[in-house]
Amino acid sequence: MAVVAQLVERWLVVPDVAGSSPVGRPIHNSIPSADADLDTSVEVAPDVPWVTIVWNDPVNLMSYVTHVFRTYFGYPKPEAERLMLLVHHEGRAVVATGPREEMERHTEAMHEYGLWATVAKASDG
Amino acid sequence: MRVSRAQDEIVLEFAEGEAGVLRSLVDQYLEVVGGDIGADPAHARLFPDAYRNDEAAASEFARYTRAGLVDRKAANAAQVSLALDEETVRLSPADAERWLPLLTDLRLVIADRLGIRVDDDEIPDTPAGEVYTWLGHLQESIIVLLEEL
Repeated sequence: MAVVAQLVERWLVVPDVAGSSPVGRPIHNSIPSADADLDTSVEVAPDVPWVTIVWNDPVNLMSYVTHVFRTYFGYPKPEAERLMLLVHHEGRAVVATGPREEMERHTEAMHEYGLWATVAKASDG
Repeated sequence: MRVSRAQDEIVLEFAEGEAGVLRSLVDQYLEVVGGDIGADPAHARLFPDAYRNDEAAASEFARYTRAGLVDRKAANAAQVSLALDEETVRLSPADAERWLPLLTDLRLVIADRLGIRVDDDEIPDTPAGEVYTWLGHLQESIIVLLEEL
């Protein structure tokens, strides 16, 4: 770090355009139709739960993923570690199951923690 | 950098210049996070699509959550930045919990710049690669001590 400390570079703000291409597709910013506001709670059949899935990524440390599962979901350490290892080895793990709105809240929280999380119907997961 | 524990606090003692580098990164991060949606490729990592096979649902989720996420990530980073005036930083457990997601987000952005996309991608032997690794050490050290508190 001593060498690094001497440098005043802007690694974050100036992307290396030549060396990197945009990851994924741009976030879509279209405005849904007015009735789209209502549809999330209507289409959920009560017997089809939704899930929050956390996906493997090359950046997050195993200790951090475990820590998030413990502090956010309140899982005991062995369960948090089991889920973390599932993410690591299988590429993903279902970390919560329940109503869609709740799974979206969990997903938003995971994004705040910097984890890669998605919502899906349990039957798709 | 030395990370240690003193009673119920975590003490970060930065080597000369390190706090400044970290602060510079945090300031740059604030620009990245607050930039126009999709303007930066790292946004795909900071704000991933919440639905994999449903673009309409993904964009609706983004519409409802994005502004709040940006605000909270930025407020968190700004608070950490304030602490970086000193070479020695003392973190309560609550402070430490604020640092961890920011350290992850800094690594997510640097990983994007370095082209680290999958587990086997190598961390390049460059200053940015060194910072990426250093941030990981800092995060790991904080987590280890936090779990002891």
